[in-house]
Amino acid sequence: MRRGNGSELGSNSLLRTQGMGADSRDVHTDAWVVWGSIFVVFLLALLPWRLTPWAPDLLVLVIAFWVVHEGGKVGLLTGFILGLLIDAHDAGPLGQHALTYVLVCYGAVVLRRRLLRFNLWRQAMHMMPIFVLSWSVTQMLTAWLMGTWPGWSWLASAVLTSVLWVPIGWMLLLPGNRLAAMNSQID
Amino acid sequence: MARKLDLELFRRSVPAEVKLVLLGLICIVFLVIDANSRVLDPVRHGLNVALYPFQRVVLLPRDAVTLVQDYTNAARLLREESEDLRRQRIELAQVVTNAAQLLTENEQLRRLLGVVDQRSAHPTVVVEVLYEPVTAYRRRLVFNKGSQEGIAPGMPVIDEGGVVGQVIRVTPFSAEAAILTDEQLAIPVQLLRNGLRLIAFGSTVPGKIEVRYFSSDADIRVGDALVTSGVGGGFPAGLSVATVQSVERDAASGFARALAEPTAYPERYRHFLVLKVPMQDMSEAQPVKTDGIAAEVTDAPR
Repeated sequence: MRRGNGSELGSNSLLRTQGMGADSRDVHTDAWVVWGSIFVVFLLALLPWRLTPWAPDLLVLVIAFWVVHEGGKVGLLTGFILGLLIDAHDAGPLGQHALTYVLVCYGAVVLRRRLLRFNLWRQAMHMMPIFVLSWSVTQMLTAWLMGTWPGWSWLASAVLTSVLWVPIGWMLLLPGNRLAAMNSQID
Repeated sequence: MARKLDLELFRRSVPAEVKLVLLGLICIVFLVIDANSRVLDPVRHGLNVALYPFQRVVLLPRDAVTLVQDYTNAARLLREESEDLRRQRIELAQVVTNAAQLLTENEQLRRLLGVVDQRSAHPTVVVEVLYEPVTAYRRRLVFNKGSQEGIAPGMPVIDEGGVVGQVIRVTPFSAEAAILTDEQLAIPVQLLRNGLRLIAFGSTVPGKIEVRYFSSDADIRVGDALVTSGVGGGFPAGLSVATVQSVERDAASGFARALAEPTAYPERYRHFLVLKVPMQDMSEAQPVKTDGIAAEVTDAPR
């Protein structure tokens, strides 16, 4: 929460120790942007474009992105609640998306410190195994419980989701970057 | 406030591992319960009611586009429809004269035999598809009207071709129906040609339904029409369901299996009709396990 307090930052710059090592770029995004983007993507997820079998899961992508970049605000519980809502909307097995989202968020929490040192391409490469693993765990569990195998289209969906980490991540970081640029000018 | 948090040395929130185990367990428990019973229906109901305003808001642009399209195409659509109707009227004229004669004759014969006429027209509700849910495991449609319009679980959904499916869940404003190709649905049917009573299930073959559990010497052929038998009361008798496409007779097991093509078009139109058949026992209709498949068999005793 650092909006519009450029002058305060200037006087308190000695106290700013939290950026050391962990988040070298010291970019912070407003809570409004974080929750607003999640809300918008959630609304998008209610639209019928997801009927395409290999459609990427933008919702889990944005949640995982904010878990990495704004870990204090977004966490596993966010993933769980939104996953359950998507399950209810899809009329599918209750808990399928929720489990996927929780697993992805946990992976993002574990890799968080490491990921923040990399650029978006490398982050996407690190997230791909997390997406694929979480998806496969859930798919196997639900396929076992429902008695039918739904095919392999989810794999394409998981890979596409991790590739989209780069453009969508770039867009999500835009407001924070602008704020950081403004602050550095003031400093 | 924000600066104080910056100086915090120790993390005081719940560790991610604890959250993972807790939330993951809840998900798995939900999945297991949901696959085997309908205990979680209240949870679903709550979530669906909470989701409804968002679904409507998101679909507003689509509704606007269809409204404009309907408006601009109105003249052409009306002309086409009126041509179709004129042709149908001529075709039906012959059938109607014949039918009127048959009807009176049928009534006479029924009186003669002392058979009470049970057939009665059911009130109907026109519903529109709100959206098609995305799931690899089930074939469902969500309609824009619910229990406020008198729709209840178990009611049949039809279109001009015949049976489309059956309402499974309702919220006050929306209703979820299983299409007849959904594996969870079972419909009591009858062969139109010889009156053989059978049960049709959704099948793993996309867009087809499956007739199972009849002996391999049963008289069923390719091209036979399947209609609802009315057994059990969930579906009124005589609604068109499907046409038999292939019959596999297995001499070893003594049973046969037939694949049939539905006569309705659940994927083609936006508007359907829900028949408001009386639903006293339907709330007690539980999924019945048959051969590993939960079938929501509708023939509860009444």
